[in-house]
Amino acid sequence: MTRLTDIALRHATFLVFALVLLWFGLQAPGFLSPESIANIVKQAAFIGIAAIGMTFVLLTAGIDLSVGSVIYLAPLIAGFAMRDLGIGVGGGLVVAVVSGAFLGAINAAAIVGLRIIPFIVTLATLFAFRGFGAFLTGSQQFDFDADMRAFGLASIGPVPLPIVFFAGLAGLAHVVLTRTAFGRQIYAVGNDPEAARKAGLPVDWIRARVYVISGACAGLAGFVVIAQIGRLDAGFGEGREFDVIAAAVLGGASLFGGIGSALGAVVGATLIQTVRSGLVFTGVNLYLQPILMAGIIFLAVLIDSLRARRARQLKRRTIRPIDA
Amino acid sequence: MTALLAFDGLSKDWFGVPAVTDFTLGIEPGSSLGLIGENGAGKSTLMNMVGGVVAPSSGRMTWQGEPYAPATPADAARRGIAFIHQELNLFTNLSIAENIFIDGFPRRFGLIDRARIAATARSLLQRLDLDHAPDTIVGELAPGERQLVEIAKALHREADLIIFDEPTTSLTPRETARLFDVIARLRAEGRTLIYISHILGDVTRVCDQVAVLRDGRLIDHGPVADFPVPRMIRAMIGRELSGLFPDRSATPSPTVIFRAEGLGQPGVIETISFEAHAGEILGLFGLMGSGRSELARAAFGLDPLASGTLALADRPLTGPTAARIAAGMAFVTENRREEGLMLEAPVADNLSLVAVRAFGRGPLALLDREAHAVATERARAELGVRAGRIATQPVKALSGGNQQKVVIGKWLMADPRFFILDEPTRGVDVGAKYEIYTLIDRLAAAGSGILFISSEVEELIGMCDRILVMSRGELVRAFTPPFNREQILASAFREAVT
Amino acid sequence: MSELPPAGITPRPDIRAPAARPAGADLGQRVRALLLSDYFVLYLSLAYFLALVPFLPTLSTPGNIVNLMSNMWPLLVVAVGQTFVLTIAGIDLSQGAVMGLTSVVVAMLIATAAPATVLANAPIWGSLLTEQGGLLAGIPFASAVGIAAMLAVAALVGLFNGLAVARLSMPPFMVTLVTMIAVAAFAIWLTQSNNIRELPESFISLGKGDIVSVYLGPKLESQLPRREVYSFITWPMVIALAAAVFAHILLNRTVFGRWVFAVGINRKAAEISGVPVARVIVTVFVISAVCAAIASILYTARLETGRPTLGGGNFLLDVIGATVIGGTSLFGGKGKVIWTFFGVLFFVLLSNTLNLLNLSAFHIDMVKGGVILMAALLDVVRTRLMRSAT
Repeated sequence: MTRLTDIALRHATFLVFALVLLWFGLQAPGFLSPESIANIVKQAAFIGIAAIGMTFVLLTAGIDLSVGSVIYLAPLIAGFAMRDLGIGVGGGLVVAVVSGAFLGAINAAAIVGLRIIPFIVTLATLFAFRGFGAFLTGSQQFDFDADMRAFGLASIGPVPLPIVFFAGLAGLAHVVLTRTAFGRQIYAVGNDPEAARKAGLPVDWIRARVYVISGACAGLAGFVVIAQIGRLDAGFGEGREFDVIAAAVLGGASLFGGIGSALGAVVGATLIQTVRSGLVFTGVNLYLQPILMAGIIFLAVLIDSLRARRARQLKRRTIRPIDA
Repeated sequence: MTALLAFDGLSKDWFGVPAVTDFTLGIEPGSSLGLIGENGAGKSTLMNMVGGVVAPSSGRMTWQGEPYAPATPADAARRGIAFIHQELNLFTNLSIAENIFIDGFPRRFGLIDRARIAATARSLLQRLDLDHAPDTIVGELAPGERQLVEIAKALHREADLIIFDEPTTSLTPRETARLFDVIARLRAEGRTLIYISHILGDVTRVCDQVAVLRDGRLIDHGPVADFPVPRMIRAMIGRELSGLFPDRSATPSPTVIFRAEGLGQPGVIETISFEAHAGEILGLFGLMGSGRSELARAAFGLDPLASGTLALADRPLTGPTAARIAAGMAFVTENRREEGLMLEAPVADNLSLVAVRAFGRGPLALLDREAHAVATERARAELGVRAGRIATQPVKALSGGNQQKVVIGKWLMADPRFFILDEPTRGVDVGAKYEIYTLIDRLAAAGSGILFISSEVEELIGMCDRILVMSRGELVRAFTPPFNREQILASAFREAVT
Repeated sequence: MSELPPAGITPRPDIRAPAARPAGADLGQRVRALLLSDYFVLYLSLAYFLALVPFLPTLSTPGNIVNLMSNMWPLLVVAVGQTFVLTIAGIDLSQGAVMGLTSVVVAMLIATAAPATVLANAPIWGSLLTEQGGLLAGIPFASAVGIAAMLAVAALVGLFNGLAVARLSMPPFMVTLVTMIAVAAFAIWLTQSNNIRELPESFISLGKGDIVSVYLGPKLESQLPRREVYSFITWPMVIALAAAVFAHILLNRTVFGRWVFAVGINRKAAEISGVPVARVIVTVFVISAVCAAIASILYTARLETGRPTLGGGNFLLDVIGATVIGGTSLFGGKGKVIWTFFGVLFFVLLSNTLNLLNLSAFHIDMVKGGVILMAALLDVVRTRLMRSAT
């Protein structure tokens, strides 16, 4: 019995996921069709790509509130570059990622260089980046050329491009986090920054890089989704930082650092998108959908905290054999 | 012979306050130096200079004959100096192998060469008789095992000098024995050690040289054979201690103040029954992991209790912690920094935390600040806490001994009738220990009952009227004076020995 | 190490001990005292005000000052609530949503009329709200009952937040994020994203009030003959200041306040010392939500509209920004209502001047971001000074 609860708690997100799929599947069988599922994953790529970057930040016990604005500003800069410099969509993609990384580097400089806490720095840049974007456009919508949309709707073989990026990034991030020195050192810094410093790890440099990564991922996420829409509204991405954080946390990342994985972020983002799509699919009132979303997130966080509490109980030493 | 590490007139002051003054000493290769001194004697500052955490104000160090001025801990590590700290610097979310290699992973095609780190880690663990797979997560290891991982790190770096800082504080006797085995092996390999400890017997056992620090100065040093424990103590505190313990000023009354009957919690404690009398200091001895702290926490309502009853002055004791405090119970935790104090808060606020309700006036419970100031100052004076302005000075600025007095003192304003003191002298130096013993005696003389939990038999023998021994979650025996140290230890080892 | 040097001088590799003080130590001391003062942000606001007045004459006109203050009061109440939550090392992201919901709640209860064309699709139509107005329309003391309902609804949300944090040990950030999403959506659902107007005069007056006004003679430039009357003491001011003073006493002068700090500094130690930790946490979240509801009264009355999206957008980030600029720490254990008062003053003054400079919304966002960053940087400097002072 307790073993069963343990297993259930450990794989809570998957369990919730399965239940959600089952529920919507029963409501509307078409929901589980391959096209519908592929569509969900495609839409999940947006939040998912940014959530992978956010996972790097959360692993160091940091937070990046500016992603919602980077998602807006980086593709915008790419848009200007494409229009004014005549670089193609591929060039635009690179510009989006690089400018995302640059915006992340601004966060990193303030956090590491000026020693201001991440919450405040990224809160400030959340305003500043969006303000700068609105300044560039005069708060107008920005329209991309037709080849941008063509790129967004393209696919490699049967796989739509957003999924290619999503999967590719997830794989890359997974390898970086689990198989490289940098990745393991991120976990070390999140677990105990003081010990990491004593061990001679370049703590500041590691911290700086995760914000650059988060910015780059947000830039990529923004570009990929804008490519599907073909235009960039002034309010695009506003409030998305919360979706991104929720996805990473649903995927098992801890806000206190040291715990989390790239694949978890993928699962978390896909779960959120599944619920969102499912609610649309089953025709739930538009205004009620966020409430159900919130319910799902609450459930996942609740299960996570129950799991943590259970882990603490198990850690408490048993001194003597437990008699039946 | 050139010293491996030599100090030459090393000094460090903090804003004009000297922490280490003119320290000159050479450490021969292959020797094992015991470094002792009271808290605040300058041991940490000295070691922080060796470790590259702090730069000296004047003087210099040489390492293998070369000038040595580390700028960062990594510098020290590169030269071959390893620290085994009291608070281990391990990452509990990583594996044993990853912890060993965290600052320099061998790579293959840009990725961590997992096979190689596992193989190296395995051979290191074998050398230390640690029977775990290299990919075991460190968070799953016991404290003693974690320390061995820390030593494995040092071995992996081929450290020439290994500095142990209070390594046995959180170890069980068996883990301690294993650690001493490992230390003996390190010495046989020709490694040089610095061993810092408050447990003087261990120093005698592990070291061949002793150096004593007091007020930042090297007071005395020499071969361990010339250093019986009394000489160490004399050098540390600068005066002869007539006795380590104060004389008891009153005898217990026959009135039972606290009664525990049939306490049990599956997997933790089993059918524990005892009585404590008013004015009695009742000792509770047990090894680490015997369930002594667990018993204390359960009795105080912090941990669950499946069966049994508690009574304070014949009134049943139930409900949450707050209710038990209101009934007259007090609990001094063994974990001062994490559970005992609000380190950032002023001394006064710490002292009044338990009884703060008593200063509330009117329906809003407005704080009577004058009464608060008077009462906290009186408490400070009674406890003999040496502090500046207690209304503003944060408690973290006090020395360990004074902090511990605050941890005990915050209960006094609530006027409890029964105290549970869990390791009240842990991490406290000899002088402050004596003051805390005096305080405990005064509490007992005032008619309170006291359950004194400790893993140091000597202090229980020195202070208690009776001693209970716990093992594997059960009370195994009760002792009355005259106490027999060997018998107490033997009963505590009941199962650990077999 | 077996013993640490006093924490005030804990050596950190990145901070080298400052060099000996230069000869102008006196000035240094004064700068230091200024930086460490409780009133630092107030001085900063005054300096900013005085520096800009020569370039922006409108800044000091009575009309602008009235406007500035009326913007300040509701924000102050919300930020005071946030101060409590931050002090226990929590955060409350749901305050804005609570404002939206309570705004709808009061409007649907006390509105005196409602157009079917706009609101017929709302789920409350027909039961709570009809052409004849809200459920309580026309009954005596409708406004008072409506306000009571606002406070009760807010307290429920706070209770939920608090229980989830204290009893289920969920992280405050996630809990209040969830309630923010759900409560905001619920408010919008209730009216299908429409506003409810036609609030009774007794309620609307709470947003204005004209307790002490200044008469500055007939307004000459105006086309229409108008008197230049400025309401300096208004209901929002009285309500907000009363709330702030009460909160100040609660946090600094009561047993409960001690407990709040104890929980914020070291929750485990507080638990062991018999502090009713769970109750403190729950109460603090209730206080935070109720403060949001009080601010909602002021906003709703001023806008004369029940608006489900009240407190939406970046409002909450403004609140947290203003609170943190004041000096309250996000890590708990450090907070003062008076700090928050000055933080809000500075924030409102800043927005006001940017508006007067005719800067567009995006410029304002950029400057706001920069100012938050500057404030945080100042806090870093102050913390270091404080450390080296002990």
